[in-house]
Amino acid sequence: MRFGGLTAVNDLSFDIPDDGLIGLIGPNGAGKTTVFNMITGFYRPTAGDILYQEQSVVGLKPFEVGRKGIARTFQNIRLCPSLSVFESAQVAFARSINYGFTQASLHLGKCQSEERRVRDAILHILEMFDLVDVRDEQSTSLPYGAQRRLEIARALATGPQLLLLDEPAAGMNPSEKSDLMKLITRIREKFNIAILMIEHDMPVVMGICESIYVLDYGVMIAYGTPDEICCNPAVIEAYLGEQV
Amino acid sequence: MMSGIPNSRWLFIAFVLISLAVTFVEDSINPYFFQVIIYVGINIILASSLSLINGFAGQFSLGHAGFMAIGAYTSAYVSSLIVTSTDGFAATALFPLILLSGGVMASLFGLLVGFPSFRVKGDYLAITTLGFGEIIRVVIQNLDFLGGARGFTSIPRISNTFWVFSTVALVVFVISNIVRSTWGKGFLAISEDEISAEAMGINSARYKMTAFATGAFFAGIAGALYAHFVTYINPSQFGFIRSIEIVVMVIVGGMHNIAGVVIAAVVLTILPEALRPIAEYRMVIYSLMLVVIMLTRPQGIFGTTRAFTDWRRKLLASFGAKGKA
Repeated sequence: MRFGGLTAVNDLSFDIPDDGLIGLIGPNGAGKTTVFNMITGFYRPTAGDILYQEQSVVGLKPFEVGRKGIARTFQNIRLCPSLSVFESAQVAFARSINYGFTQASLHLGKCQSEERRVRDAILHILEMFDLVDVRDEQSTSLPYGAQRRLEIARALATGPQLLLLDEPAAGMNPSEKSDLMKLITRIREKFNIAILMIEHDMPVVMGICESIYVLDYGVMIAYGTPDEICCNPAVIEAYLGEQV
Repeated sequence: MMSGIPNSRWLFIAFVLISLAVTFVEDSINPYFFQVIIYVGINIILASSLSLINGFAGQFSLGHAGFMAIGAYTSAYVSSLIVTSTDGFAATALFPLILLSGGVMASLFGLLVGFPSFRVKGDYLAITTLGFGEIIRVVIQNLDFLGGARGFTSIPRISNTFWVFSTVALVVFVISNIVRSTWGKGFLAISEDEISAEAMGINSARYKMTAFATGAFFAGIAGALYAHFVTYINPSQFGFIRSIEIVVMVIVGGMHNIAGVVIAAVVLTILPEALRPIAEYRMVIYSLMLVVIMLTRPQGIFGTTRAFTDWRRKLLASFGAKGKA
């Protein structure tokens, strides 16, 4: 991936197993979020290919990638201020709901039963994320950790096979972090999906990821299990600099 | 549940029946008051249809008078072709068709204007749509078969309280249903954050087109109702000042609040009329009032839907009733 003369991500190649939990780490500006933006169609890679379930997703629009079953969260939380918690989750069902414009506008036909189905599904997912009690609150008025949870809940509500989490623990306090780790583990057990996670917080990454890729200046410098990564000299050098 | 208006088909039907009943006594209403009542109805249709585009879908259109003009002229032309007799009954029977012709034509242009919204946002989109409205006006001015600058004359007078206010009921019913539905949450999602909406599989281009086509459709019908009420239309009636008036109604009423927009349309139509006794000061007071509203209630007098439902919930709670989820 190149931006003008800058090569942001170069010659990166990796696989995500069907139900794997993969960490993507690296110093600031290493190109981690760029990788996410390429996978989800916000950037088009200047070279190379991205295969998802053996099909290329390069060149698809973001919403088409979303429909194929890749959901993501954002580094800086993106919730709509005018929507309540419940409505924010409702947005995730907007494309899968089974009625059209005419039925929606006249509130006829399958509308009522579909709305009921979606309502149950939303309450179910909010329950799981411990957000049921605040469902009528304005989404952006929630505490930070709860906003992060809502963003993940919303992404999961689209029914993805691959979930991309961009720094889910950023800005969380230690107890929120440990809740998050439990939550991610629970998501894996319940939904049986693949997760790719960008994270700076080493205890979180080391605690839950099965394997970790390390990026620096857009190049992959290391790959391995958490134990291998934390004593890899190249990784230590990227983060802390060369020994004098 | 969330639009501030109870979701009731019965409310819609009751409203249509009342407007039908009023039709039978409308001859006994003072003609001036009657005219104001009809303008109130037409402005409600215009403002609530624009609230779908500018409010819920978060676009910024200044071209609503253009859509209204297309509806007015299309319907006037269609009725000059098909309404030949002066028989009131035949004209009434054909009227839905005439209204639809105006709405459909405006809606087609709405799709056309929707295209730039994929690339252009905010102020830039406002200028683009403003340009569109002016183009429409100038083109009509130079089309001889539509009367050009002289205007289109002798349109049959068919609009009455029934036609105008059943359309009001329909447009409010449709738009509040849309924004309340799960499908319609897509509009709110793209209006506030297109990127996260896209990530959730929402086709923002399609939602924008739907907003423009639907909004333009009802504006076209409003134009048709207007043409068949005043019986004479000319291009200068659809200038951009008209568009601005409608935008003001949406902003004053609250961008995400259909009930507020309806009330704003009523107040802002009646107010300039009510101020007539003070003659030349009336527009000063009108404008001053807008400035005061924007300074004190930038979110619109009635705020967002949320403020409205919160308020209602509090009210219900204070009466000991159980707050609705």
